[in-house]
Amino acid sequence: MAKNTIQFIGLFVVLVLVQVIFSKIMLFNVATPIIFIYLLFRLPISMSLNAVFTIAFFSGLAIDMFNNTQGMNALACLLVSAIRTKVFYAFVTRDDETSNIIPSCKSVGTGTYMKYAGTLMLIYCFLIFFIQAFTFHNVLLTIARVICSFVLSLILIYGIDSLVDTRREKRS
Amino acid sequence: MNNLLQFLVKHVPWFVFIIYVVISCILLFRSNPYQQSVYLSSANGISSTVYEGYSGISSYFGLKSVNEDLQARNTELELEVAQLKKQLNNYKLQIPDTTGILAKSKPDFTYVVANVISNSVAQPANFITIDRGSEDGIVPEMGVVGHNGVVGIVNVVGKHSARIISLINPYIRLSCKVKKNGKFGTLKWIGEDYRYATLTELPRDGKYTKGDSVVTSGYSALFPEGIMVGIVEGEDKTQSSNFMAVKVRLSTDFSQLKNVSALNNKMRVELKALESKDNDPSGAKKEEKK
Repeated sequence: MAKNTIQFIGLFVVLVLVQVIFSKIMLFNVATPIIFIYLLFRLPISMSLNAVFTIAFFSGLAIDMFNNTQGMNALACLLVSAIRTKVFYAFVTRDDETSNIIPSCKSVGTGTYMKYAGTLMLIYCFLIFFIQAFTFHNVLLTIARVICSFVLSLILIYGIDSLVDTRREKRS
Repeated sequence: MNNLLQFLVKHVPWFVFIIYVVISCILLFRSNPYQQSVYLSSANGISSTVYEGYSGISSYFGLKSVNEDLQARNTELELEVAQLKKQLNNYKLQIPDTTGILAKSKPDFTYVVANVISNSVAQPANFITIDRGSEDGIVPEMGVVGHNGVVGIVNVVGKHSARIISLINPYIRLSCKVKKNGKFGTLKWIGEDYRYATLTELPRDGKYTKGDSVVTSGYSALFPEGIMVGIVEGEDKTQSSNFMAVKVRLSTDFSQLKNVSALNNKMRVELKALESKDNDPSGAKKEEKK
């Protein structure tokens, strides 16, 4: 447990620092890589909701602080963390084996994990770009940004997951 | 009662959720971007340290183009100085005591040079962070210029860092004029391309051709008159109504910003006091009573 916590804190720091650089990037004026959200995907399914919401809020706020987007990422992270378990059980059958699982490609299978991560990522991109574009009228550009950022981020999330989860075997 | 308590205990996480959502919504939809705490901006201790680390590495890239820019600007200024000296000499010959008058007039602006440690061009509202703060003499609402022209306005100041509202941020309205005919307008950024802004509220009787320089008007206390802002690209028909609007290509390349200077107007405090006096009806009444 302690080992998991330390690993998680390490992951938090690294992902936030990388995200700070990534947030400045916008490929072809449409695609921004979003990777720190991987933190939320990775929290154990059985974790108490209080803890999940707190982690989501503060990780979002940390990104907001660097990007000068007060509250934007925090809000989107909270909403994503609220539907996280619901989305997870939409793709995985609810039983004892899956009740204390850490979602990853290894633990639930690549296809299922990508469906889970993909759904959440799409919702997150949608939220973040539409909150961002609140005062603007260019809907087409915003939709293009949602889709391109979603695709780019999901590819990166797959890469990060295979990097982070090298040794962990399927839990039982 | 018992049922109510049970209900509350069962749904504690959702109350936590609602509290967090309310906090983030308050942060997000706060109407005035100027009244922001320094701790939640990129000018706070942690983020400025991280950004300084990043910029320490990345500042070496692109030095060549910075040097070229400086070289060009330097030459331009040298030529201008030579030109002005020549003019001054001509005037000296005509009116012998001009030098006396000139010696008396002191510069109104002092400046603090700073490095850009964080910058964005892709967000709908862009900010710049610099590595100088209150201890170096930076105060909120100082104008900031780069070597190619206006950059933005200081907004939040930390001890050793400050956040600047970039010119490519929809919150900024800058009073500018077209250099050739002296017509005034308001420059704003409409949030699409970081290379262009729009000069609105221009009177319709003026002629604005492609290539005209747009400079600061000197009406605000932030910038002296005549600092370069951009070049007219053509009429912007989407923005025009009773007034004209022109598209302006900004002279500052925001994607490659490295060094800036924050301008301090010595008269700023005085001018501000004067302006608030005029607008305050209670102050006027007091004087009437006297």
